[in-house]
Amino acid sequence: MGKLSIDFGMINSDNIEQLKKINQACFPVAYGDSFYRDMAKKSDENLCKFAYYSGLAIGAVCTRVEPIPDDPNGRSRLYIMTLGVLAAYRNHGIGSKLVESVMEYYESEKDGKLSTVDEIMVHTQTSNMDAMNFYMDRFGFEKGELVENYYKRIDPPHCYVLRKKLR
Amino acid sequence: MSSDNPQSGQGRLLPRKEADLFKNVVKFYENKNYKKGMKNADQILKRFPNHGETLCMKGLILNGMASAKGAAGSKDKREEEEETKKEAVELVKRGLMMDMRSHVCWHVYGLLHRSSQNYAEAIKAYKQALRIDEENLQILRDMSLLQIQMRDLIGFKETRLRILTLRPNSKVHWLSYALSVHVNGDPDAAVGILDSYFGTLEEGCVEFEKNFESSELALYKNQLLSETKGEDEDEDGLGGVRKALEHLDEIEKVIVDHTGWLKAKLSYQLQLGNFEDAKDTAMKLFERGLTEEHRVHGAYMCALLKCDRETCLEVEKMKGTGTLATLRPFAEEERSILLDAYGSKDGLSKLYPRSNGIKRIYITILPTNSDEFKSAIDKYCQKQITKGVPSLGADLSSLYLMEDSRSNGSRLMLATDPLDVNVHPVHALLVDLIEAYITSLSSNNSFPSGEGESPPSALLWAWYLRSILHEQVAEYAQGITLIHKCIEHTPTAVDFYELKARLLEAGGDIQQAADVIDAGRDLDHQDRYINNQTTKTFLRAGREEDAKKRIALFTREQGSPEQYLYDMQCAWYELELADLLRRKGEFGKSLRKYMAVVKHYEDYHEDQFDFHSYCIRKVTMRAYCDLLRFEDDLWGLPHYGRAAEEIAKIHLHIHDNPSALESDAEPDYSKMTPAERKKAKNMARKKKNAAAKGGSKSDTKSNNTNGGSGNVKKSKPHAIDEDPSGKELLALNHLDEAKKYAAILARHAPKSISSWALQYDVSVRRGKMLMGLQALFKMKSIDSNSPQLFSRVVDFSQRLGSRSSKCHDTSEEIISAEFPKLMGGKTLSEFVKSAIERVKSDAASGLPMRTAVAKAIVSSGVGSAPDSLSVILDSKLNCRSANVDSCREALKFIESVGGQSGKGQFQALVVTKFPFLKDF
Repeated sequence: MGKLSIDFGMINSDNIEQLKKINQACFPVAYGDSFYRDMAKKSDENLCKFAYYSGLAIGAVCTRVEPIPDDPNGRSRLYIMTLGVLAAYRNHGIGSKLVESVMEYYESEKDGKLSTVDEIMVHTQTSNMDAMNFYMDRFGFEKGELVENYYKRIDPPHCYVLRKKLR
Repeated sequence: MSSDNPQSGQGRLLPRKEADLFKNVVKFYENKNYKKGMKNADQILKRFPNHGETLCMKGLILNGMASAKGAAGSKDKREEEEETKKEAVELVKRGLMMDMRSHVCWHVYGLLHRSSQNYAEAIKAYKQALRIDEENLQILRDMSLLQIQMRDLIGFKETRLRILTLRPNSKVHWLSYALSVHVNGDPDAAVGILDSYFGTLEEGCVEFEKNFESSELALYKNQLLSETKGEDEDEDGLGGVRKALEHLDEIEKVIVDHTGWLKAKLSYQLQLGNFEDAKDTAMKLFERGLTEEHRVHGAYMCALLKCDRETCLEVEKMKGTGTLATLRPFAEEERSILLDAYGSKDGLSKLYPRSNGIKRIYITILPTNSDEFKSAIDKYCQKQITKGVPSLGADLSSLYLMEDSRSNGSRLMLATDPLDVNVHPVHALLVDLIEAYITSLSSNNSFPSGEGESPPSALLWAWYLRSILHEQVAEYAQGITLIHKCIEHTPTAVDFYELKARLLEAGGDIQQAADVIDAGRDLDHQDRYINNQTTKTFLRAGREEDAKKRIALFTREQGSPEQYLYDMQCAWYELELADLLRRKGEFGKSLRKYMAVVKHYEDYHEDQFDFHSYCIRKVTMRAYCDLLRFEDDLWGLPHYGRAAEEIAKIHLHIHDNPSALESDAEPDYSKMTPAERKKAKNMARKKKNAAAKGGSKSDTKSNNTNGGSGNVKKSKPHAIDEDPSGKELLALNHLDEAKKYAAILARHAPKSISSWALQYDVSVRRGKMLMGLQALFKMKSIDSNSPQLFSRVVDFSQRLGSRSSKCHDTSEEIISAEFPKLMGGKTLSEFVKSAIERVKSDAASGLPMRTAVAKAIVSSGVGSAPDSLSVILDSKLNCRSANVDSCREALKFIESVGGQSGKGQFQALVVTKFPFLKDF
């Protein structure tokens, strides 16, 4: 399938409802109001962004920097909270472009703002083969541990951690 | 008179010291240095307390101070300001009494009137001043401005002549005089004046060089020439145009506005029938980049088809995407000429392959039943759908052209009623085309012609367009099904929620429509358009508070949104809000909102004042003439018309039903105990004051940032808080008010049938039967098949039969001679019967007409209640103008005649047609 030319745009309190619409359409889990409130208030436009095709918001990625728990050196990681593309626009490389743009940002800031970041990680439902293939085949993520009962209201409730060492 | 007034006797002047002080007073006033001016004036008055001119100047300064303060809008300040103004008037009047022979005093008196916009009085005062000092240039100039503002054209001309005679070496005075002669309808003389002016110039001066001013002046003279009659030997009356065309060549070397020059040339050539030349001129305009301007295309087509002068002039005035092709049908040979010019190998579309205008116009020329039309539409739609153009539906709807029945087929009109669109071949073609797109796009993601893959949004926009096609023929449920698909496909686009809301509204559920569009609005808080649409829908749904919350998102943060919208002259909002209040029966509040719109138009009229001197100074004469014409037609504009009509209708309604006022809101106060009432009123006042203060603060803020220019003109006191429930307006004489607005509309919007309907309604209530009759004839000349006319003819006939007193004899003679013509010489019952026949013979007869006829059947006793119902029910609602509003109107009538079965039948029809209607 051909690639679509897309633009990126920031997520803010004026368009946060669009993120909600995209996430509702893409994910079986519903994110709480606090997720969107935070996103509207203090998201970093380099890490959280919409993908626009001819003026329509059709996908979004939301990433944050978080400390690696119990890390003795106090290092941190990029955590992909959500990555979604509306069904009709899938298989046009839009998800990849969103992840790539985050990776590019990391590259440009690896010795700057993101100098404490060592890895990028994401949770994927154990049944979500598409997602696993996407992260592992295209971006070289490695399958990590199984987290049991990570999700509350969907079946199966377990997920894998996928991660990629960045340095 | 005593010695404390040195000017009470002739030739007695102020002593040297005071005379100097007085000069200072004037200077300080002119520089708006009011405090110092006041100080100096007081110094003079200390010695000469009755010196007239000083008293006047002091008053004028006081008035200036009050106006400057008036920017603050709070009630206390306003009262204070009013006090000061009164004091100012007193001072000036006293000064004038002390010294009636001083031109200064009269001039000041005039200025004072002018500042309170009392222009007629101001002119009188100026005239007095001039009687004393005939050659006072300042006064003459001030007066001339007032005269053109008031359109005292003859006086204006006289004044400008006096000024020119006094100072013949000023360009501005020559131009002003020429213009004054022009507006008095003598372009020949105006040309002569301009020529005299040119004669005063020296050879080689800057006025003959190529620059903006000489260019504008040359084109103005050219315009004047085209308006002249020309010489006697020009039998066609086009001598002026001929001269103007020749003149264009003479002035070419000084022209800066070359496009304007070419447009004038094109117009003249067309009027004179020089079609070959006109074609060349049009091509030159295209070369200059005007390929997207439909008027040039219209003119080009006229040249190609050698149209007569009337058609050319008509096309020149067409708006939007209108051209000759949307004005009248073409004969076959005409069509082939145009097709050749636009579509052939060396036609326009090849010369300008990137022009959308040309592509679009080419489609309007093609015969709609041809294969070429189909393939051109196909190509056009594919392109726009691939691109994702939401306005495509509206764009294509301008292709639903049909012959205008009122013109015997010599003119085209746009099919807008669902009934007409439904049988229109272009609509059918579009439906087939888009259905095929949808099938093909959803199965293999490409258009039927199959050239490569389409983007995923192509199917989306195809669904969207199909939904609009459903909307156009009132298939609301089907439209909703498709728009749901769109929303599921791409839930982030505002357009889909907007269309869904439109479908719901037209299909009967305004409440849900408001909620849906509000959800769409929530997707993008920076989209002012959707915010306004949401506000409008809330207002139509009767949800005033919701609407106010939404519109407030885009008003300034401080101050009340209401005040801000008034200051911004946001007429659409005020009209919708006024409609809502009217529907709720809150007539006072409603009137206030309508009056706010009327006030905006008065302000627009007022706004021209500054241009009278500015335009001439800048030599933008052509634009100035346009402005004067625009201002003359101001009261004929649609928003004003809507406000004025509703104001008059409310007054008529109250006149007819004085009890309507009892239900008017303000129940809060009347049901309260005195203590509660006082408390509530105080609260309201405090709130208002706070809001006003907030508003004024932000005002001063912008004052500082803009350096006092631009938006800060709105420093006039606001008359908004005084009477929020409109009690004062309701206390007016209802018939007089209605008469006032009906007269304005009849004069300024004479082509609108509702102007005359209103004029009729007012006239007959005033017992002016002859005026009513005249209004009926006017209506007939506009649309003889109008239900508004029909019901009024019936009404007139019944009034004639039942009235107690007669008119003047001559009036009676005219009425009895002329009125039968309106009924085709029939008696009332014959007239109604023939209307029944007519309605029944044409299944498409509009619902309002059916309701009007049904009412007439009952009121004239021509038939029974069931007879009248059948006129409505027979239509099965497959008739024109069947919308939720007209159905409610019909239902009201059906309920009034009783009969449950008829009502049940009608409700069943309505519910089928409007699937979302809940409360019918």
